[in-house]
Amino acid sequence: MSDTLQILRDVISAVFMLTGSLLALVSSIGLFRFSSTRARMHATTKPATLGVLLCAVGAAAQFSDVSSVAKLAVIVVLQLVAAPIGAHMLGRAVGGK
Amino acid sequence: MTIIAYLSLGCLATAGLLGVLRIVRRTSLGDRAVAFDMLTSVLTCGLLVSAGVTTDGLNLDLAVLLGLLGFVASVAIARFIESRDEVES
Repeated sequence: MSDTLQILRDVISAVFMLTGSLLALVSSIGLFRFSSTRARMHATTKPATLGVLLCAVGAAAQFSDVSSVAKLAVIVVLQLVAAPIGAHMLGRAVGGK
Repeated sequence: MTIIAYLSLGCLATAGLLGVLRIVRRTSLGDRAVAFDMLTSVLTCGLLVSAGVTTDGLNLDLAVLLGLLGFVASVAIARFIESRDEVES
C-alpha cells in the first residue's frame, strides 16, 4: 500500500516539476527570441509565477509533514504577490524601449 | 525519480545558463534587470525541485529567502532606472 502511495507521489511530482522546468527553459529561450524589452518581459514573467507554483506543487507531493507544506505555501503566495509588482515596476521603468 | 530530477534540473540549468549569457552580453540595464528577474525565479524553481527530490527542509528556507531577495533587487533596479532617466532628461 505504501509502495502505491510512493509511486503516486513520484508521478505527481514528476509531472509538475518537469512542466515547471520546461516553462523556465521556454522563457529563457524567449529572452533571446523577442525583440524589445517589454516583449522579453512577456516571456519571462509567466514562469516567475506559474513555474514556481508548479515546482512547489511537485515538491509538496514529496513532503508529508505539515510545516514543510506550509513553507511551500508561503513561497508560492510570496511569489504570486511579489513577481507581478516587480515586473510592473520594471515595465514602467524601461518605458517604451 | 532520480532521472526526473536530472531532467528537470538540466532544463533549469540550461535556462539559468541562457539567463547568465543574456546578462553578460552587452545589453541595456533594463534587459539585464529582466534577465536577472528570470534568473532568480529559475533558481527558486531549482531549489524547490532539489527540495522535493531530497526532502530536505533547508532548501525551502533558502527558496523563501531568494524570493524575497529577488523582489527587493528588481524593485531597487527599477527605481534606479527611473531616477537615472529623470536626471538625464
